[in-house]
Amino acid sequence: MTLGAGLQGPVQSKLRTSLSRTLESDTPREHTPLSVPTLAPEPFLNLLATIRGIGYRFDSPKEVLAKANPLKSGDVLAGIAAGSPVERVAARAVLANLTLCELREAPVVPYDEDELTRLVEDSLDQAAFLCVGHLTVGEFREWLLEDATTGDMIRSVSPGLTPEMVAAVCKLMSNLDLMVVGAKCKVVVRANNTLGLPGTFSSRLQPNHPKDDLEGILLSTREGLAYGCGDAVIGVNPATDSAESTAHILRALDGLMKRNGIPTQHCVLSHVTVQMQALELDCPMDLMFQSLSGTEQGNQAFGVSIGLLDEAHALMGERRSSRGPNYMYFETGQGSALSSEAHHGADQVTLEARCYGFARRYSPFLVNSVVGFIGPEYLADGRQITRAGLEDHFMGKLMGLPMGCDACFTYHADMGQDELENLKVLLGAAGCTYLMSMPVGDDIMLNYQSTSYHDIPSVRKLLGKRPTPEFDAWLNKMGIMQGDAPGENFGKAEMIR
Amino acid sequence: MILEPIRPRILSVQRIPDAHPALLRSYGADPERHQSLGLITCDQDDSTFVALDEATKHAPVDVVYARSFYAGAAHASGPLSGEVLGVLAAAGPEEIDEGLRAAVACLEHDACFYTADAQGETAVFPHVVTSLGHYLSKEAGLEVGDAMAYLVAPPMEATIAFDRALKEANVRAVKIFGPPTETNFAAAWLTGELAECEAAAAAFARAVVEVARSPLYR
Amino acid sequence: MSATRELIARLREQLGESAPLSPAGPALPLTPPPRRVFPSPRTRSSLQGQAAAHTTALVGIGRVGTRYATDVVLQFQAELAVAHHAVASLLPEEWIEQNGLLNLQTRVSDHQEFLLRPDLGRRLSDASRQALQTRARKDIDIQPILADGLSAEACIGSGMEVLGALIGECESRGWTVGTPMCARFGRVWLQDEIGELLGAKVCIIILGERPGLGTGDGLSAYVVHNPAIGKTDSDRNMISNIHARGTSPNSAASRLADLAGAMLEQGTSGVGLDLSRVAPGNTATELRAPQVRESLVEVGR
Repeated sequence: MTLGAGLQGPVQSKLRTSLSRTLESDTPREHTPLSVPTLAPEPFLNLLATIRGIGYRFDSPKEVLAKANPLKSGDVLAGIAAGSPVERVAARAVLANLTLCELREAPVVPYDEDELTRLVEDSLDQAAFLCVGHLTVGEFREWLLEDATTGDMIRSVSPGLTPEMVAAVCKLMSNLDLMVVGAKCKVVVRANNTLGLPGTFSSRLQPNHPKDDLEGILLSTREGLAYGCGDAVIGVNPATDSAESTAHILRALDGLMKRNGIPTQHCVLSHVTVQMQALELDCPMDLMFQSLSGTEQGNQAFGVSIGLLDEAHALMGERRSSRGPNYMYFETGQGSALSSEAHHGADQVTLEARCYGFARRYSPFLVNSVVGFIGPEYLADGRQITRAGLEDHFMGKLMGLPMGCDACFTYHADMGQDELENLKVLLGAAGCTYLMSMPVGDDIMLNYQSTSYHDIPSVRKLLGKRPTPEFDAWLNKMGIMQGDAPGENFGKAEMIR
Repeated sequence: MILEPIRPRILSVQRIPDAHPALLRSYGADPERHQSLGLITCDQDDSTFVALDEATKHAPVDVVYARSFYAGAAHASGPLSGEVLGVLAAAGPEEIDEGLRAAVACLEHDACFYTADAQGETAVFPHVVTSLGHYLSKEAGLEVGDAMAYLVAPPMEATIAFDRALKEANVRAVKIFGPPTETNFAAAWLTGELAECEAAAAAFARAVVEVARSPLYR
Repeated sequence: MSATRELIARLREQLGESAPLSPAGPALPLTPPPRRVFPSPRTRSSLQGQAAAHTTALVGIGRVGTRYATDVVLQFQAELAVAHHAVASLLPEEWIEQNGLLNLQTRVSDHQEFLLRPDLGRRLSDASRQALQTRARKDIDIQPILADGLSAEACIGSGMEVLGALIGECESRGWTVGTPMCARFGRVWLQDEIGELLGAKVCIIILGERPGLGTGDGLSAYVVHNPAIGKTDSDRNMISNIHARGTSPNSAASRLADLAGAMLEQGTSGVGLDLSRVAPGNTATELRAPQVRESLVEVGR
């Protein structure tokens, strides 16, 4: 490999020096950081673009990233959105000409101030980075879209990408661009099921109940299974965040899965510390869940840190009831850092990508953004929610995660049923690993609208997709499916004990 | 290739929702009970008779008319004539539709002639009606629900084969239509237990094949 | 397979024909006559009745292909429309004045801005700050505030009843109660600025909660001790689901007064408040009961 081929200027020289230092070491993954990034603009970065004679100058890559973002109410709320559609394009032009290497030098939250920045930088796969670091964001976009660029090739450079690079290329992509590349990326993971194989489309069954009524949860679960849902996970958001309640629900789900021989995973989405306590109660737990944010401060608001998740991950390594090797489940969502005032002036797409930079440390079985849940102040309407869903899926896949999506809206966002159904099909076509599923898409506890038990088989049929092979075999055995068509017991919850 | 199905071609299916009383009467319908007619032409008469009978089992329709045309489909009067016209009559168009649908399904999936020689020049109709409808039961003087072997072949083959069928199975001859029929074939209706009717039809078909293979007395 | 075809297939084998009988199939040069369509009997899961006892989730609703039956679609669309209608409803200024409440405005200028800029809905307009300074009673124990929140419909529906009951409860416990007031385009944290300006010990804001499917008439109430700008969610206690099918206005008022009393006694609110010392049944963490699902659509008589 020719180091720094095609690179010019002081940034590249600096990089070259630090790269050679890295390559000389025996353990490239533990290299020293390239430099200590600062908030001050790099004077030699060209952050100027001219459109019809009007010059647009930006102060930092962070500002460029923010202003290059498609309009999102959350960026407006944070006061960092482009002032006009023209300025937005100018920012994209500047962004297109930055190199991935330059973006690596300019994380949106400084190395010294944020453990996630340090995690990403310190664990970046140097060899993978060197394959693409010299490309501009515009060139990187084109490489991703080339016919000759396969999913395997993309996968091989994933460990060398920082969240800022991934967010940057995302901003240069149209919705269909995002889908085309997203559909190329194959990420296959395994717990009890094998998720993410080509031609598959899975679902989380989400039988939430506002009072954690076990009977209610199980009834809803049985109905969902009869529609072929639940191959990603049967995951309950508990109303009560206690270890006892978590263990109680997990045992009930475990019983149902054992009685019926269902090849899937269970999970109760209480706080990670609560799940760790539940493990002490000796309950089965196939997957461990946690919500993530894109900054150290944002994660503090969620009550988590790298140290805590390392501990949780290690505990699951010993105590989990699933086969593995993947057994963590993370949820994210644009706007979560801003909602806890932990965004450091960075835009919500870049911060979302940083969640994935955190998540990949644990080789999770499931990751999904809860795209419309946060409310209209972050994603105002159907257009923004649709865009964000496709962005999150693309970015997660590009970073090597088995990305799913909770395509949803709250009732005060400007989105309707038809637009949400559109998004489900778009995500399915983009190769999204899984969506949610619940009766009529109505979460009776969290009061929002998501995917329904009926939607999953509809999207599968439309796109010619199947569930995970293990689950598919079970559905066929039960007569719920017959090949790829609904079987005689399709929709018959009473078939499941 | 022998005993290969010769698929009937349905040439026209029509209905008259509100037929003129004179027309109704002329085709044997009763204007008091019948308002609608359904008509079907096909290039296989015997298949169509079976199909019309089938229609009476699926819908409240009557077969008021079913006649073969002289000299068969090869000498038809027009492209939509074939060798048979069947007419269903019923109280309304919905019943007619249901009846026609059943008749068409029967022609598609059940009743047909088969080849009895490798060249496909000899045709045989060794059909078993497992359960008679109103139409054929009345024509044959049997009960609705009886089993019947409906056997047709060219005159020489048929005659040898009728004898074989009557001897090899425990069946009773209901009617034997000696040659020539309108289409110059010979036909027989035999009845008995379903399994015996099947045995008779099998013996009949086998005999027709054998005669076709060795046409000369030895 | 028909009896005749079966016997022919056997006979072919006996006669040494190795190829299988060619399949039956359309022999039709014509499209078959159209068939009258009859509605198929509705298949509903036997689970439906059983489910009603345990959950309001719509399980056992059956299917048409992989989609919903028409009545399910209509019920669902009605529920969604009710929720969207509640969110879009506006609180008329006349309503505030007719009810004798001090009329306050936040920094929000229209409904769209209200949804997109929660920061502006948490602060009073300059004119309203002025009005508060001159027209509202200061240094009180309890300051109650009514606001539209995410459902003006809910505020109009039972806001006055809850507010009246709450003032009665507080006065009967011997506390001084501030001037009744109502804010348009108000968010929860507005109680911090108002309470701080008026020197209230406890501030209670009652406002329309985010509608759920089929429900737009619910109110929530948030209680904070020593209100001041900068308080966070962890400094507050709340009760939700105040409407005809949930917590009644009277019981909401007495539970809010219990919470306020505990705050006055313990000198704190939110996570720091010891709820075990509040009258039983008055814990803010109590789970919301599932809401009874009403059939919304009825055609003709």
